[in-house]
Amino acid sequence: MALEFFWQLPTNGDGRYADAEKRRRGEREYAHSAYLTPGVSDPRGDTYNYFDYLHQIARAAELGGFNGIQIRNDPDGDESWIVAGYLARSTKYLTIIAEFDASRGSAVYAAKNAVSYQRFSHGRFAWKIGTGGNEKQRHSAGDFITEQDILKRIDEFVTVAQNVITQTSYTFEGEFFQVLEGGFKGPLSNQKVPPVYLAGSSEEAYQLSAKLADVHVLDAKPVELLKPEIAKLSALAAAHGRKLDIALRIDLLARETEEEAQFDAERFGQQSGNTYEVGSTSLLRAGLSGKHTDAAATLVGSYEQVIDKLVEYAQAGITTFILGAVPSLEEAYRVGEIILPEVRSLISGAGRRVA
Amino acid sequence: MTIDIFWRIPTHGEPSSLRNKLHHRGDWSQQEGDHIVHRGLSGGGEDGYTSLDYIAEVARAAEISGFHGGLIPSFPMTDEPWAVSAFLARETKTFRFMIAFQPGFLNPVTAAKMTASLQRATGGRALFNVITGGGGPSQLWWGDVAPHDDRYARTTEFLDVLRGLWKGGSFSHHGKFYHIEDGGLPPQLLGQDFPEIYFSGSSDAALASASKHAEYYLSWLEPFDQLRDKFNRVKERTDALGRKIKCAVRVDIIARRTEEEAWREVRRGFENLDDAAKQRYQRFAQQTGDSVGAGRQRSNAPKDLNNYRDFIIHPNVWSGLSLLRGGQTQGIVGSYEQVAERLDDLVQLGADAFILASTPHLEEAYRVGEEVLPLVHGHDTARALRAVG
Repeated sequence: MALEFFWQLPTNGDGRYADAEKRRRGEREYAHSAYLTPGVSDPRGDTYNYFDYLHQIARAAELGGFNGIQIRNDPDGDESWIVAGYLARSTKYLTIIAEFDASRGSAVYAAKNAVSYQRFSHGRFAWKIGTGGNEKQRHSAGDFITEQDILKRIDEFVTVAQNVITQTSYTFEGEFFQVLEGGFKGPLSNQKVPPVYLAGSSEEAYQLSAKLADVHVLDAKPVELLKPEIAKLSALAAAHGRKLDIALRIDLLARETEEEAQFDAERFGQQSGNTYEVGSTSLLRAGLSGKHTDAAATLVGSYEQVIDKLVEYAQAGITTFILGAVPSLEEAYRVGEIILPEVRSLISGAGRRVA
Repeated sequence: MTIDIFWRIPTHGEPSSLRNKLHHRGDWSQQEGDHIVHRGLSGGGEDGYTSLDYIAEVARAAEISGFHGGLIPSFPMTDEPWAVSAFLARETKTFRFMIAFQPGFLNPVTAAKMTASLQRATGGRALFNVITGGGGPSQLWWGDVAPHDDRYARTTEFLDVLRGLWKGGSFSHHGKFYHIEDGGLPPQLLGQDFPEIYFSGSSDAALASASKHAEYYLSWLEPFDQLRDKFNRVKERTDALGRKIKCAVRVDIIARRTEEEAWREVRRGFENLDDAAKQRYQRFAQQTGDSVGAGRQRSNAPKDLNNYRDFIIHPNVWSGLSLLRGGQTQGIVGSYEQVAERLDDLVQLGADAFILASTPHLEEAYRVGEEVLPLVHGHDTARALRAVG
């Protein structure tokens, strides 16, 4: 079983502390760290901004052996497709998942743009389609869809997009999207349909994933609680004659020793002011991952503990991990160097790499 | 006042010259009835390059040669300009990405965010060629069901929303096409330059929209008198609304050291026309659709293909270009001096910016940048400083 590891890129700031979303490396106005004193000259001027830092995270993920990156659709952050395109040329093999909502516009236009992304990146572009947050957030994004229509629109969006990519005369008349004899020809034809990642825990969300997603992304929770969800999703997909991969979205706080990990977790909790279970013996902690990474829980522990937990998840049927940590650059190197090779080695049956 | 000169990016594939269509850059060419994939320069797959690698070379040639940037077109068969711009942001320095797009295809809140992020990614080098025309079945191909005049009303409203969001703070809007309640761009995406707008469209509905939102009214080359009238009409209309608009011309040029050499390029291409190209021309001449601009181009076209000279409609203006490659029909053909003079003529009748193109776009960016641009005076009537040779 080949595991896939993705690293989540924060589009709305990143830094060393728990208030990472307020810090935008590369951007002086939002840096929060002290500028140099008047006694020291600063060569940077306005040469850099946060995009230069995002570029470094993507390169770190690639050098660190991740299979891909996921670019968050953060209402307060930069736009995920622009970030995806911006990073694609500087990476060689990473799959780049752009997270977005089906409210972004015409499904045909999204598909046509995706075709160019595929052509320019040798097919490395993938979609994570979200539901647009709560009603207030949707309205602020110009989206007045009713709650019960959200998944239906995703269904139509993906259906239309996939068909205009794979066919040359596709007609569809739905509630949300229409197209007449659509489809891309010549070199725009036969491009890879972006793999579709969906999430959600409702019955309807499971049904939709079973019907048309490539990967269903589950939120972090104890492995025993995940098992029935994985079984259910797989069974639903099988009923459609399809295979559905299951991903886990989880944050990591891994250190050389458990003690160091606990210490950093507590300091992080204090900085964030979040309600955080101090002294818990569980490795899986809610409340550590804030709005910044949007994970349901963080795996806190020594390298060995975190590695073993990830292996447990993999053995339970998770094939894709979408990992995150703060700060994203430094932690991408840490996880890439220490955690990923070990988990891969254990899963492949080769055993532990180091004593 | 100075004029701005842009280049065009060939996301539609291109031959190595207009003389024949045998060898293509990018990875495709237009053939009878369909678009045929070619193995040309790049895009071959095994070498790891993609068609974007040649596009990147053209963009760099344009910025090195003195162009502000390039128009990146959007047609059913082209790669999409949002993608090209984002991908090439880090690989160009001064090149400005003129994104052709139809506002109706995007949620304006999404578009505002994309635009602000692209400005951040490029250091403010994005601008728009807002297009609304086309129509009939071709518009439904894109999944767009709005009728012609409604589409311009939608374009206007889309740009209203974009500008509203751009100001920052809470923004609400309840219009015919868009509803936004308490929206806005995140603070760190604010403060970017709003993209300059080059507006395409020839109908009255288009002019009403352009006069409200565009910096430049963009037209294909048309017979000079016709163009003067059109520009005057646009400016009258805008003046009436209390807003100043500038005009721009999108035109292909074939410039050589001598006029004779320039026409030789045209003649060779004309002599090499194959049956498919001739049939395509007949179809073009008979085509219908509700794009007023395309209709104006067609009305100037001869019905027969006897001699390339039949297509000369004005000194140095040839109206048979669509025979040699897809796209607009009229281009300027002549010596370096003549082409520069015709461009200055266009400035005199109201143009303040140009989007130029010539095949192949990479070598021609250098040629035009080195030989023609230094001869263009724009509004400066003093003798241009240049090396003669």
